[in-house]
Amino acid sequence: MADWRQQVEALRAQAGELPEGDAKVRALEEAVRLVDVHGDVPLGYELRDSLIDAATFGGYPDKALVAFAWCRGQQKKDPQRFDPEDILWKQKWVVGRLDEFPHISRKQIADALDDVEQGFAKLDAGRRAALKLRYQMARDMGDTAEAERLWEEWLVAPRDHLTDCRVCELDDELDHHVDKGEWEQAIQKAKPILDGRQSCAEIPHLTLGTLLYPFFKLERMKEARDCHVRGYAMVAKNREFLSTVGEHLEFLALTGNLSRGLTLLEKHLGWALEHASHRDRFSFYTAASFLLGQVVSDGRDEVSLRLPRAFPLHAVDGGYGTGALKDWLDSQARDIAARFDARNGTKRFTGLLARNEVLATEARLFPLD
Amino acid sequence: MDHRFQVSLRGVIDLLSHHLYSSPGVYVRELLQNATDAIRARQQLEPQATGAVGLELREKQDGGPPTLLFTDEGVGLTEEEIHRFLATIGESSKREQLEARRNDFIGQFGIGLLSCFMVCDELLVVTRSAKGDGRTLEWRGRHDGTYDVRVSEHPLDAPGTHVYLVARPDMVEWFTPERVRQLAKHYGGLLPFPVRLTAEGKTETLNPDGPPWRRAYETPGDRRQALLAYGREVFGTDFLDVIPLRSEAGDVDGVAYVLPASPHFNAKQKHRVYLKQMLLSESAENLLPEWAFFVKCVVNANGLRPTASRESFYEDTVLAKAREALGQSLRQYLMDLAHEEPRALQRLIALHGLSVKGLALDDDDFYRLVIHWLTFETSLGVMTLADYRRSWPVVRYTPTLDAFRQVARVAAAQGLCVLNAAYTHDTALLEKLPHVVPEAQVAPFSSADLPQSFEELTLDEREAVYPLLRLAEGVLAPFRCAVEVKKFFPAEVPTLYSSDAEGAFRRDAERAREESDDLYAGVLDGVMAGTGGQERALLCLNLHNPVVRRLAAVEGRELLKLSVEMLYVQALLLGQHPLNAQEMALLNHGLLGLISARLDEGGGGGSSGPGSRGMH
Repeated sequence: MADWRQQVEALRAQAGELPEGDAKVRALEEAVRLVDVHGDVPLGYELRDSLIDAATFGGYPDKALVAFAWCRGQQKKDPQRFDPEDILWKQKWVVGRLDEFPHISRKQIADALDDVEQGFAKLDAGRRAALKLRYQMARDMGDTAEAERLWEEWLVAPRDHLTDCRVCELDDELDHHVDKGEWEQAIQKAKPILDGRQSCAEIPHLTLGTLLYPFFKLERMKEARDCHVRGYAMVAKNREFLSTVGEHLEFLALTGNLSRGLTLLEKHLGWALEHASHRDRFSFYTAASFLLGQVVSDGRDEVSLRLPRAFPLHAVDGGYGTGALKDWLDSQARDIAARFDARNGTKRFTGLLARNEVLATEARLFPLD
Repeated sequence: MDHRFQVSLRGVIDLLSHHLYSSPGVYVRELLQNATDAIRARQQLEPQATGAVGLELREKQDGGPPTLLFTDEGVGLTEEEIHRFLATIGESSKREQLEARRNDFIGQFGIGLLSCFMVCDELLVVTRSAKGDGRTLEWRGRHDGTYDVRVSEHPLDAPGTHVYLVARPDMVEWFTPERVRQLAKHYGGLLPFPVRLTAEGKTETLNPDGPPWRRAYETPGDRRQALLAYGREVFGTDFLDVIPLRSEAGDVDGVAYVLPASPHFNAKQKHRVYLKQMLLSESAENLLPEWAFFVKCVVNANGLRPTASRESFYEDTVLAKAREALGQSLRQYLMDLAHEEPRALQRLIALHGLSVKGLALDDDDFYRLVIHWLTFETSLGVMTLADYRRSWPVVRYTPTLDAFRQVARVAAAQGLCVLNAAYTHDTALLEKLPHVVPEAQVAPFSSADLPQSFEELTLDEREAVYPLLRLAEGVLAPFRCAVEVKKFFPAEVPTLYSSDAEGAFRRDAERAREESDDLYAGVLDGVMAGTGGQERALLCLNLHNPVVRRLAAVEGRELLKLSVEMLYVQALLLGQHPLNAQEMALLNHGLLGLISARLDEGGGGGSSGPGSRGMH
């Protein structure tokens, strides 16, 4: 009996030493299965609690959700044993990403949001956290008017212990300004983050990607380059940041650094092919499609790339027609956009895809080398 | 008119001493910092000025508290600067300006002097500016926040500043010659101008030699010995080796020491850092790339910005570039080892494998150099990747320990070499192989790949097992598990259950679904609908196994069904796959059924015992 417990502890210790990413998630999954074989519910709960963290910060929102659903079931069955507060905090992470799965219906998302709010209400807290969640969902699903209304409500709601940290909230605020083209304001708000005075687990990783386009628009290229150089290094090894990698890809394409852009495509296409978040896949494919469009415009018909074997057009000799590559990326993005827009009943994703045409007119050479 | 906030100086000092300063001893640091800034400013005006700092302890004849006279040959202060710097604390309109001039001088002069009020009640600053009219001014500040300025009756001969501190009676222990010497050496031991201490009638220079890594040595061997000795003095550790560090960005130089034992993975090493040759921190963290946790270093930086806590540097572009350059210094060391002393590198890998692997992931050239020397556990024993690739064209690896355990024994029995890549970085390293070494082939391996290596049945055997196969297929269909019969080793293993990673996750999701409510059951369905790979699991029966052989000859359907069910559950449990509710029921009913069947045999009871009815 002691043997399996030792194995579980060894796996837990191993996971504890690993950086966020695949290996950490795998180690904890393995530990959870081992515990389940032996039916130890409290230990299964504890390890899944760690698994939710690892999966959330390591780019596996599907695995976070599965682990969460199990814990939630146990917590409801035995609320004495399993503290609701802890799981409510993590419920924010899980519910905040439901919209990234096109097979989850609007009704299910709405019910899950209501459920969060009811959970928070029982503790008489979390109003601000719930409003942010609703604002972000409305924004991501393209309910512009609703998002606008919730934005106003969110910002005036008082903070409490269920509110995300100030830095994370600040980063979330930036999206609103970038959506509206308020470049200066986004940059100004982000100053404490840019200066390195404030940070969190995923900040400034996300922020530096968000600000690439605003800096580009304002022609503050030195700062844009800094954001790229610093920011890409922070996100390059964790699939959680696939969408941010897409922002870097877009920046490289916009500034004519096409070779660098293709290197990013080589490195990260594998993530996109199997990423659970279709929203992140979409961001990446859209940026990659823009990049290939620029390569085509540059007059190049063929490129040599080391793409993963799982890629449907995989060529053993590494030679790819740029047109065909662009078409494939485009069709992926278009397909996901269609599914999201159909589910959401809005046109947001089609709109995001169309943005590529605008970007093509804005491209401006700024060699990084 | 504008009014000003009244700020209690006492209160501010209290705040500073509790939150900003670690001990009253930092007053020496702050005085040295002011002196350094003033000397630098002087050198901007007069490039030939060398500058010097003096600390003189004056004991009172009557046994009263001693006085410390702190002098510098710096730029001095004009009257306007006295008011601006000595009496204004953190005024916002000046902040930006100070920030812009940070690289020149006068860091935070006023704040620095404030720290002196931790050890004395009154400060006298006598100063003559190199820029002014030649007058010498006296500023007398008191801890209650009042001060006055006047022209001194004892003019200084040359520009510079003299600060007089009379020890507060309860703070005299911070004014003994030993304490002052130790503090001044600690903070200012690397300063580029002489720091002299006069006490008890003797004068000594506290920093005769400058940073040891910049000194000239007779031979490289002498240099190494001297620097290792310095490392021992600073960190109290006998290090394995010493590596020079240099970065243009941030103007950083120094030495890195190779730790004599494996540190905890990603352990943040605490480095000793000097800023413009003044000690900044003994626990700076964010100076090196993440993978470089196998060294501790001592460095001086002239162009990096410290954070307020002084434990790390601001995460800005300069720091990013400096970090990259320092990483390059370490990488160069490892590259040189690989080329010149491969054995030493192998010893280093044994000790600091995680750092080496971390760098290899970041850096293709380095990867190419070391990857084949790394050792891995395989189903056929421990070997280097070079050994592996010499014998097997495709590198087959399992990404988890669990997957390795499931295949290792059977794979070894078939003569298959499968590599365990469950340890930190291993999977990522192997996946990188074809990108760096184009002819290399790597493939993840799981139990699902094993049956391909198993021996097919003969035509006669096929016929013989056909009824078993058909029945088993029917029994396991509800569990989305296919069935095959093959021959493999070791013969004691009756079955092999296999599914891909997707399948294992699907099973996790099923169990979560069983435990959860309608809302989340529905949500889980939505998530799982998006995942591909509906591939079924596979139960492979081993005809080399005597039990399976006998089973193929059994005619009673009930017993056969029961046996297949139990083999299935056993295979799951052996592979450490948790059972879902349906499988758990199978196990419970099956056990009873088997006992009952056995009792029927032995007890000679009717063929419709309670146990066989209990099965479904």
